[in-house]
Amino acid sequence: MSGHSTWPEWVYVGVVIALLCYVGAEAWNIERIIEHVPEDAELIKVTGQQWLWTFEHEDGTKEIGELHLEKGKAYRFEITSKDVIHSFNIHEYTVLLDAVPGKINHVWFSPNVAGEFDIQCREYCGLIHYNMRGTLFVADTGA
Amino acid sequence: MKVIIGLGMVLGLLVILPAVEHAFAAGSEVGEYLDRKVAIWGLFYRLMIIAFTVGTVVSGMIVWLVLRFRESNPKAKPTPYEASGDW
Amino acid sequence: MVLELQKPRPIWQIMFSTHHTDVGLLYLITSLAFMFMGGALALLLRVELFSPGVQLIADSMTYNRIFTVHGTTLIFLFILPSASAFGNYLVPIMVRFKDMAYPKLNAVAFWMIPPAGALIWLGFADFTWYAYPTYSVISAPGPAADMWIFGLKILGVSSILGSINFVVTIMKCKHPDLPLSKMPLLAWAYLTSSLITLVAVPTFAAALLMLLTDRLGASGFFNPAMGGDPIAYQHLFWFTFHPEVYILVIPAIGFMYEIFPRFSRKPIFSHGSGVTAFTLLAIVGFASWAHHMYATGMSFTEKTVFMVGTLAAVPASAMHTFNFLATMWGGRIKFATPIMWAVGGIALFFSAGAGGVVNSAMPLDFITHDSYWVVGHFHLFVMGTILFGTVGFVYYFFPYVTGRMYSEVLGKVHFILSFVGTVLVFFTQHILGLFGMPRRIYDYPAIPEWVSMNIIISIGAFIIGIGMAIFLWNLIYSSAKGKPADMDDPFGLGGKYYFPYQAKNPSH
Repeated sequence: MSGHSTWPEWVYVGVVIALLCYVGAEAWNIERIIEHVPEDAELIKVTGQQWLWTFEHEDGTKEIGELHLEKGKAYRFEITSKDVIHSFNIHEYTVLLDAVPGKINHVWFSPNVAGEFDIQCREYCGLIHYNMRGTLFVADTGA
Repeated sequence: MKVIIGLGMVLGLLVILPAVEHAFAAGSEVGEYLDRKVAIWGLFYRLMIIAFTVGTVVSGMIVWLVLRFRESNPKAKPTPYEASGDW
Repeated sequence: MVLELQKPRPIWQIMFSTHHTDVGLLYLITSLAFMFMGGALALLLRVELFSPGVQLIADSMTYNRIFTVHGTTLIFLFILPSASAFGNYLVPIMVRFKDMAYPKLNAVAFWMIPPAGALIWLGFADFTWYAYPTYSVISAPGPAADMWIFGLKILGVSSILGSINFVVTIMKCKHPDLPLSKMPLLAWAYLTSSLITLVAVPTFAAALLMLLTDRLGASGFFNPAMGGDPIAYQHLFWFTFHPEVYILVIPAIGFMYEIFPRFSRKPIFSHGSGVTAFTLLAIVGFASWAHHMYATGMSFTEKTVFMVGTLAAVPASAMHTFNFLATMWGGRIKFATPIMWAVGGIALFFSAGAGGVVNSAMPLDFITHDSYWVVGHFHLFVMGTILFGTVGFVYYFFPYVTGRMYSEVLGKVHFILSFVGTVLVFFTQHILGLFGMPRRIYDYPAIPEWVSMNIIISIGAFIIGIGMAIFLWNLIYSSAKGKPADMDDPFGLGGKYYFPYQAKNPSH
C-alpha cells in the first residue's frame, strides 16, 4: 500500500517478536520453578485485616505484627483477609500475594539470610494502609 | 560491523546467564531450597539488559534522526514533495 | 475557523450549539481545565511525599481522596474529553461531511461531562480510581463513593454516545469518493478507539451497577460475606480498563500521525502499516486484562495466558514507532513546538513500552506489583505519550481554533521543562518501586533510598508544574493577544495546514 520497500519493517517486527518470545519463555520458566512448593515446607497462616497482620504457626503459636522464622527452612503461607483486600509483602524476599477475603492464596519461600525484614501491605485498604506494617525476624539456626 | 558484534555479545550473554543463574539460585548445599529472590531478580536483570540495549538503539536512532534531518543541518535538502507542496 | 474573541458571539449560542466545531471547543476548554485541576492535585501529593512525616496534608484520608480524584480526573475528565474535542473538530472534516452524524446526540454527550465532573469533585471519594471491593463496598465512606459511582456511570454513557457518533460518521457519512484506505490515520485512530469503547465500556457499566447495589446491601456480587467474589469485580474492571488504555493512547498516536508528516515535509512512511497497527491493537488489546491481577492468586496457566496476550499487543505499538522514525528519515524537519512534543512523546512511549514488556513477565510482578514501579510505568504512558501527544496537538491546532499564533519560545520552554520533569519523576519512580515503596501511601518510613528518591521526584514534579503554568499563560494570553496567524500555513512549512475541505460553522 505504501509503495516503499517494506523489508526493513518486517525485519524490525521479526526482531521484536523474537525478543518477546524470549521474554515469554524465560518468564514462564522462572514462574514454573518458583511455584514448585517443597513437601516439607512448614505452614504459616497469614491473616490481614484493617490494619495489621496476624500469623499462626503449625504448632498453634500466634503472633501479631511480627513473624519469627528460622533460616534455611522452607515455609508456605496460606494468606487470607478478614475484611477488605490487602496484599502480603516481604519485599526483601520478593514474597507478594493478595490477601483476599473469602479466598486463601498460597506462596512459599525459604529465608536464607538472618535478620529483620519489613512486612508491608501492598493493596490499598483505607486509612492506615500506609502503615500496615510488620517485621519478619529470621533467626540463625546455629547449624 | 561493530554494532553486530556488540549485539551478538549481548545475545550470547542472554543465553549463558540463565544457566549460571540456576546454579546460584539452586543453593550450594544439600537440602537447601531454591532462592526465590535470586531467580526473580536474575530474570529482572536479564530483561533489563534487553530493555536497555533496545532502548539505546532506539533513542540513539531518534537523536541521530533529529540532528541529521533538522532543517538547520548544513546537509539538509528539500524533500521531493516540497516541489508540489503536497504531502 | 476562529475562536470567538475576534468576533464575539453570545456565550449561550456556543453552549446550545450542536455544530461539531462548537462542541469540539466546549470539549477542549473543559478537558484543559480538568487537566490543570488534576495536575494541581498531583503537586499537592508530591509536596506531602517530599519527605517522611507530615508536610502539607494533615491526615491520610485526605491524601487518599486527593490521589483518587487526581487519577479519576485526568483519565476521565481530561484525556477522554480532549480526544473527543479534536475528534469533533476534525472527523467531519477528514471524512468530508458537514457535521457529525448525530449533532444533537453529540451535544448531549458533551453536556454529560460537567455534571459528572461535579459529582466526582464534590464527592472526593477515597477508594482509588479502581474502586476495588471489598473496600469500596464495606469500608469506603459515602456519599463520596456513591457520587463517584454515579459520576462514572454518566461518563461511561457519554463515552459510548460519542463513540457511536464517531463510528457512524466515519463509516456511513464518509464522502463516497474517499475510500477507507485513503482516510487520514487520525480518522482511523478515532474509528478504532471508538470501536474498542463500544465493546469494552459496557462491561464496566455493569460492574458499577453491581458495586452500587452491593454498597446498598441489596446484593452480594463482590462481598464474600454474602457469597460473592471480590476478584470478579477485578476481572470486569480490567476487561474494560485494559482496552481503555488503548482507547486513551490511540488518539494521541493519531495526533502524532498528523504532526510527524507535516513537520517532516513528507508523507507518512506507511499508511497501511498504521491502519494495520491500529486494528491489530484494537483486537489484541482485549486479550491481556488479567496481567493487572497477577498478585490475586491466579493459577500458573491463567497467568501464562495473559502474559502471552500482553506480549502479543507489543508489535502493533512497535510498528507505530517505526512508522514515525521512518517518516522523519529523509525529511527536512522544522522543529517547532508541536513536533518537539511529538518526538519527546515517542521517545517516552518507547521507554514506557519497554517497561511494560518487563511488567508482563509474571515472576517480576512479585517485585513490582502495586509499587512505584507501576506508577512510573503508567505515567510514562499517560503523561509521556498521551499528554505529550495531546499538548503537541493543542499547539498545532491553536492557530486553527484562535486564528493567532502562540508564543513559540514559551512553547519550547514548556516542552523542555515537561520533558526534564517527566524523566526525573517517572524514571526515578521505577527505581523507587524496585526498592519496595508501595503506591497509594500517605507516608513512608525513613529508608534513606526512599527519602532521596522522593525528593528528586517531588522536584521533578514541580518542574513539570512550572511548565504547565507557562502553558496556561501562553494559552490565555496568545488567544487574546497573539500575532494573527497565516491560516494557510501558520508554521511556514510549505504544505497545506488543514484539509482542503474546511468546516463552516453556520453561526459565523
